[in-house]
Amino acid sequence: MQAEKQDILNRLAQAVINMDITRANEAAAEVIRCKIDPYEAIMDGLAKGMDKVNELFENEEYFVPEILLCADAMYAGIEVLRPYLPKEGTWNKKKVVIGVVKGDTHDIGKNLVKIMLDNAGFEMHDLGRNVPYAKFIDTAGELKADLVCLSTLMTTTMDGMQVIIEDLKKAGITSRVMVGGGPISPGFAKNIGADGYAKNAAEAVRVAKSLFQDVHLPLTFKTPEFVSVRKNHGGVR
Amino acid sequence: MTYKDEMTPKERMQAILQGKAVDRLLVSPLILNFASRSLNMTVREFCTSGKNMGNANIACFKQYRHDIVYIFSTTSTLAEAMGTKMHFPEDDAPQVETPFIQTREDLKKLKPVNPEKDGRLPVYLDAVKRCVDVIGKEVFIVPVIGAPFTTSAALRGTETFIKELYTDPELVHTLMKVTTQSVKNLIDAYVKAGGVPVTVEPVATGSMISEKHFREFVLPYLKEVYSHIHSYNLPGVLHICGKTKRVIQCMAESGADILSIDNIDLLEAKELVGGKVCLMGNVSPADGMLKGNPEIITTMVKECIAKASDNHRGYIVATGCEVPIKTPNENMVAFLEAGRQFARLPISLN
Repeated sequence: MQAEKQDILNRLAQAVINMDITRANEAAAEVIRCKIDPYEAIMDGLAKGMDKVNELFENEEYFVPEILLCADAMYAGIEVLRPYLPKEGTWNKKKVVIGVVKGDTHDIGKNLVKIMLDNAGFEMHDLGRNVPYAKFIDTAGELKADLVCLSTLMTTTMDGMQVIIEDLKKAGITSRVMVGGGPISPGFAKNIGADGYAKNAAEAVRVAKSLFQDVHLPLTFKTPEFVSVRKNHGGVR
Repeated sequence: MTYKDEMTPKERMQAILQGKAVDRLLVSPLILNFASRSLNMTVREFCTSGKNMGNANIACFKQYRHDIVYIFSTTSTLAEAMGTKMHFPEDDAPQVETPFIQTREDLKKLKPVNPEKDGRLPVYLDAVKRCVDVIGKEVFIVPVIGAPFTTSAALRGTETFIKELYTDPELVHTLMKVTTQSVKNLIDAYVKAGGVPVTVEPVATGSMISEKHFREFVLPYLKEVYSHIHSYNLPGVLHICGKTKRVIQCMAESGADILSIDNIDLLEAKELVGGKVCLMGNVSPADGMLKGNPEIITTMVKECIAKASDNHRGYIVATGCEVPIKTPNENMVAFLEAGRQFARLPISLN
């Protein structure tokens, strides 16, 4: 039984790594059939596979198409498991608002960061691309977001990041801010008052986690509105 | 102090191509939509009228005397001419709004472009002709074409397209064949108009796809493009921005004679492909041109020259990618001054 369970978890992870939606679906169905805890299947199967994908990306063995397809497989598996997830609640997740700043419609980088942070246990709120500055402020305020992630690929729109950071402060919102994208350098990030900069999606996970390392958060128990990828421990493991 | 040139940009380029002596290396910041600033136009006004695009580039050349005059607004112009719908912000480069190929069925509607008629290609052709007429004796007019992979991505939607490298390679090749033919048609039209067309392939950057995919899906078509350009006895120029360390060797195998590169150390590039190709780059557009100051930019230009001026197959002082439209005038002047001073031959950086 234990061996069978381990085998299924491995198959989930492998399906993600191999970009195989069909096998992710099949292995997820096995999870249900064998009455394995679906949370465990996500954490020790699908998400574990995605961790490996992140590693392959960092080592430049996987690139953008691979990550997108691995994520498709991961989310396919989660869709199968979702109806069976217990309704009892989870640890309060770190809330992240993410988007591409106004004037720019390039969103692949942002999508990669979203996938990786989701997998790392953050609760992601994606505003999409070409997002007006005010939308970031309003959403971060409403959600009491812990982190706002701003992305742009264009030099014409990078100054918008500074406007957003200033407006967040004016509105009294204390969310941390992480920035990234083609033209963004660590120096620019620092100059505009960002709390963090990440050069790619893998680094974004490390930086986001480090931003909350020393913060002790109340571990509020509440019913999740939706279950993201992984049971969370305050965004920090 | 101002450093005077002894040759016109065109004489300099011709001498370099023929292997003759020159006063200095070519200095060619990627002035694209930035040219609109010389006539205080918005980018939308600039890129939707051949008259505006031509006149602004003429004025820009008279202002800065840079070595190459590029005609460009966005890498998706060719895809636009083939059916992709664009959004035109008031004062920024056009961006893809709705890719043309929504389903496999749409492939049937796809055909190679007619540059005289389709999309904004007539705008570009008009701009090229105007520039050739007025400043063509002094400088080469260089229209920039989105290469096959970049054009295909803009026709299909980049995210969908790059996933299809795995899920539908046949569709990818079908698209690549038609876009390659479009690129060739456009090269013909530009050459006829007196321009020297060059190609940009940013979607094939090493930040995006693997070397394996580059070899399978990008390289064969680039080879076709450069062999076509060579049939006119013109040099092939390939620009890819972002990280290129992983793909630069493939780039050098494409038949391109000049590689314009962005996020890679020039020493490394020189070591990897300097025996095969001329290098061009890579002052930072953001940290240098836009956010830097004359002092920072001078340092960056000197650093590039120090690293690459001894490249076996030559070196062109340039920015790594497009000069941002909001680049301050004094930064542009600083770039060109530094180039004129420190790229003088023989090189002396003191």
